[in-house]
Amino acid sequence: MLEEYGRILIAAALTWILFVSVDIFWRLPQKGGVSGAKAIGDMIARRGGNRNGGWMMGNIVSSPDASAGTLLAACGVFVAGIPGGIAAALLVFIGNRICHDPGFAGTTGALIATAVITLSTQFGFIPSDFIVGTVIAILTIQGLSLTKASHLLGRLWRWRA
Amino acid sequence: MIDGLIILLLTVLITLGAVVTALWRGPFDKLIGLSIITAGIVPFVVMRGYLDVAIVVALIVPLSTIIILLLLGRPVQ
Amino acid sequence: MESLIATVICLLIAVYGAIRAVAERETLARLPFINVMNFGIAGAIVLILPHPLTLVAAAAYFIGSTLEANAIASAYAKRGGT
Repeated sequence: MLEEYGRILIAAALTWILFVSVDIFWRLPQKGGVSGAKAIGDMIARRGGNRNGGWMMGNIVSSPDASAGTLLAACGVFVAGIPGGIAAALLVFIGNRICHDPGFAGTTGALIATAVITLSTQFGFIPSDFIVGTVIAILTIQGLSLTKASHLLGRLWRWRA
Repeated sequence: MIDGLIILLLTVLITLGAVVTALWRGPFDKLIGLSIITAGIVPFVVMRGYLDVAIVVALIVPLSTIIILLLLGRPVQ
Repeated sequence: MESLIATVICLLIAVYGAIRAVAERETLARLPFINVMNFGIAGAIVLILPHPLTLVAAAAYFIGSTLEANAIASAYAKRGGT
C-alpha cells in the first residue's frame, strides 16, 4: 500500500513537469489570455508575485489549459484507454473554444498526457495514479502560496522567453 | 469505512458552502459560495449512478451564475 | 469501488481548497483555491464511478466550473468589485 503513495508522488511530479512545460511552450505566461486571467494575474502581481507567473496561473483558472488537458486525459485513459484519452483531448478542445480561447495548450497537453500515461503502464503505474497526481500538482501551484508559485513560474518563463 | 469518509467529506463541502454563502456579503462571494455547494452535490449524484442528471446540473449551475452576473451588470432601472 | 485511496486524496484536496478559499479575504484571490477544489472534484467524479460516460460528466463539470470562475473574475474586474 505504501508503494501506491510512492507511485502517486512520482505521477504528481511527472504531471507537474508535463503541464508546466506545455503551458510555457504555448506562451501562457506571456499575457493574460481571457479577461478573467488578466484580472487574477494582476491581483497576484499586486500581492508581490511575478506578473508573468501570475498571468499563467490566471490562465489555469480561467481557461482549460494543459493542466485541465492532463487531468481529463488521465480520466479518459482510466475509463477507456487510449480512445478515452483522445476523447478527452476532443472534449478539452471543445471546452477551449466555448471559453473563447483560441489556444491549443489544453489539446496538446491532453494528447501528450495520454501518451505518457499509456507508456507508464509498462512501468507499473495505473491511470488513477495520474488523476490524483494531477490534482496534487495543481495543489502545489494554485493551492499553497500564490506569490511563491508565481515567482517559480516566472523564473521558468524567463528561460523560455 | 472509506465510503463513509467520502460521504463525510462531501457533506463538509456542502455545509461549508451553505454557511459561507449565507455569511458573506458581496455578490461575487455569494456566487463563489454557490459553486462550493455545487462541488459537494455533484459527486453525490454520480455516486447514485445518475450521470445524465450530473451532467445537466454541472452545466446549468455555472450557466445560472453567468446569467446572474449579466443581470448584475445591468444598471438598475 | 476501486482506488479508494485516490478518491479520498482527491476529496481531501478539494475540501482543503474550499477551506483556503473561505479563509481568504480578497474575492479574486479565492478563485485559484476554488480552482483547486474543482480539479479535486472532477478527479473524484471519475474515480467514484469508472464508466465511459463519467468522463463526459467530469469534463462537463470541469468546463462549467472554469467558465464560471472566468465569468466571476472578469465581471469582478470590470465592475471594480465590492
